[in-house]
Amino acid sequence: MAVFLGVPLAIYLVFVISPFAQAVYYSMTSWGGFSNSMPFVGLDNYVKLFHDDIFLIAIRNNIILVIFLPIITIILSLILATLVTVGGSSRGQIKGLKGSGFYRVISFFPYVIPAVVIGVIWAQIYDPSSGLLNGILTHLGFDGVKSFPWLGDSRTAMAASMAVIVWGFVGFYMILFIAAIKGIPAETFEAARIDGAGRFRTATTITIPLIRDTIQTAYVYMGILALDAFVYMSVLNSTGGPANSTLVMSQKLFSTAFSKSQFGLACAMGVVLAAITLIFSALVFLVNRLTGGSKDVSA
Amino acid sequence: MSILNKPVQRRGFLRGALATAVVVPLGGALASCAGGGGSSSTSAAAGGEVSATNPFGVAKTGTLDAVIFKGGYGIDYVDFAGAILKKNFPDITVKISPSTDIAQEMQPRFVGGTPPDLIDNSGAKSIGFSTILDQLEDLKSITEANNLEGTKIADTLYDGVLAPGTFDGKVAAINYVLTVYAIWYSKSLFDANGWTVPTTWDEAMALGAKAKAKGKYLFLWGKEAATYYQTMAIESAIKEGGDEVRLALENLKPNCWSLPAIQSVFTALEKIIKAGYVKPGGSGTQFTAAQAQWSNNQDALLYPSGSWIENEMKDQTKADFKMTGAPTPVVSTSPKIPQSGVRSAAGEPYIVPTKGKNVAAGKELLRIMLSKDSAVNFAKTKLAPTVVKGTVPADGFGSTALVSQTTMLDNAKKNIFTWNFIDLYGMNPDQLVPWNSFLDGKLDAAGLTKALQEITDKVANDSSVTKIEVK
Repeated sequence: MAVFLGVPLAIYLVFVISPFAQAVYYSMTSWGGFSNSMPFVGLDNYVKLFHDDIFLIAIRNNIILVIFLPIITIILSLILATLVTVGGSSRGQIKGLKGSGFYRVISFFPYVIPAVVIGVIWAQIYDPSSGLLNGILTHLGFDGVKSFPWLGDSRTAMAASMAVIVWGFVGFYMILFIAAIKGIPAETFEAARIDGAGRFRTATTITIPLIRDTIQTAYVYMGILALDAFVYMSVLNSTGGPANSTLVMSQKLFSTAFSKSQFGLACAMGVVLAAITLIFSALVFLVNRLTGGSKDVSA
Repeated sequence: MSILNKPVQRRGFLRGALATAVVVPLGGALASCAGGGGSSSTSAAAGGEVSATNPFGVAKTGTLDAVIFKGGYGIDYVDFAGAILKKNFPDITVKISPSTDIAQEMQPRFVGGTPPDLIDNSGAKSIGFSTILDQLEDLKSITEANNLEGTKIADTLYDGVLAPGTFDGKVAAINYVLTVYAIWYSKSLFDANGWTVPTTWDEAMALGAKAKAKGKYLFLWGKEAATYYQTMAIESAIKEGGDEVRLALENLKPNCWSLPAIQSVFTALEKIIKAGYVKPGGSGTQFTAAQAQWSNNQDALLYPSGSWIENEMKDQTKADFKMTGAPTPVVSTSPKIPQSGVRSAAGEPYIVPTKGKNVAAGKELLRIMLSKDSAVNFAKTKLAPTVVKGTVPADGFGSTALVSQTTMLDNAKKNIFTWNFIDLYGMNPDQLVPWNSFLDGKLDAAGLTKALQEITDKVANDSSVTKIEVK
């Protein structure tokens, strides 16, 4: 008992709960970060936060990310996963497209590249004067985009940044979904096919309901990443993007702490970020339950 | 049924345990969380004997722990001084470590009461001075001491170089490198085309038209360095409106960005931007890439920056570029401060934390760096002057940029000024946003003014930020 419960519990207390509690306490001080003096100011920092127009923009950007990133990533990776597992010839055994092993490997490539490197590569691709993207587009005859700053225009910066994150994660979630689809007995698909279901029908009424829990997990994971997004956003647009259009809470937190030395305020941002993350996870579980996720469909 | 219930009970117990786990430390934290592990008090290291050659009484043994920002200048110039210290005090262990992220790496050491003995608090991630001021040694003891050659250090420094590191009369930092801010251009390119460097914004506008005819731009920028144009604008406005402009900004006065001098410069810049003389796309270009478009491709004629630009772009500068600096243009022909005036500030602020283990050795290392040998070594290897006078020969070690710095400083005479408010309150990240939009043409001068004023007001009205009054 002492070993199996006590030790992990102690570790959990020391390394998870206590830093969190400390952050909550610091968030109610005006701690500057470089000394031991931490005047207690109550909820002042929170009041200040919700009057800070730039922080509110950052929250808005995170919410945009948390809505769109998981949806886009999951839909794309579901399509890919279906194609390489059950999307193949409708004759004979249930199998994926021709050469699916190859697709599976190359789609996974972006995931093994460190996030910082992905950011650096794409920042080069998006470069207005000498980037690959504008090079290709002007070559194709779109002269309007000559020296168009994809990351420097507030209309496109967010979408361009999201595209980079999606690019980096589609491969991983594809593999996750492949594993889930492989867990479905082939007979189920065969039965559906005999009943006359096409590929799209099979995907929507057989595959998706059967791997529902995996999709929910993917949604939560991708959502938590979207609520952070620090690495990608700070490499692609370290300054928060044009008109703060790609600024996320974690970036604002970092600059508040380390360039403005307002650690108390930064801790308050951290607490708000944590609260939003918890609310998000709870929402995903709630929605899944309300839409019938608790029904047992596996047998 | 009873079997089915079992795991539920177990889960319930775990849940209760976790709830307790959450509550207990929270109470503890609330009760006791007065700070990190702040324990050790002031400096230790039994002092050595104070003498003419050892003015701070460095102990014979011990460790010197210095953390140096590793930016454009590297850290080998500090190693050079460290080697001299090692020669004078053979039993001291000299530890000089590089850091690219001073604030983040030093924060736990300051809170824990174990900061290093000497820090180069520089770079984009430096520590804001207003937060650590009371934890730093007054370095007047260094400037009052003699250097290794036996001259009082205060007498060997350029005028005004201690000002940026002096807060409320306390020399909290000694800035080591002398930076001259200017607009930089290729003398060879200008000579080949018969162009002259603009001294007023109207001339700049005319030069823009000539550049356009050659398929070039007047200016270009990169997203992380958009505020170089703010530096240029403030400098031009201070020359136009005199010291009152500088003081209004330094003291975060209401409506300081609406002063006529600043507005006239913003309007002039707006005209240049609207005329299409600024290379588009800068807000999506990395600043070093943008700078290479200037120094290598010569897409634009002028680039406002500090004198570090030569060293920074060394590998990406066209062969016969002849990089030269000139004072920023002004609005009218009769500015309050002559057009030859320049912003020159000593950079790379060196600080000695009071709680360092070997404060005396930290000061000694800085004293060695301010001596002739180390200063000459720096100028020669980095092609930039230190705050120590007379270390750059007339040929500037073969660098046209270095020669032009000396020329600008000589021509400016007493009209050398600087400001601190942006770094002091960490406003640069916020200011980059409107400057990128302004250079992009998406924001006009009025919009820029409004955005900058909002950023300034936010700091001015924030009671938790310690303000430092500038007179």
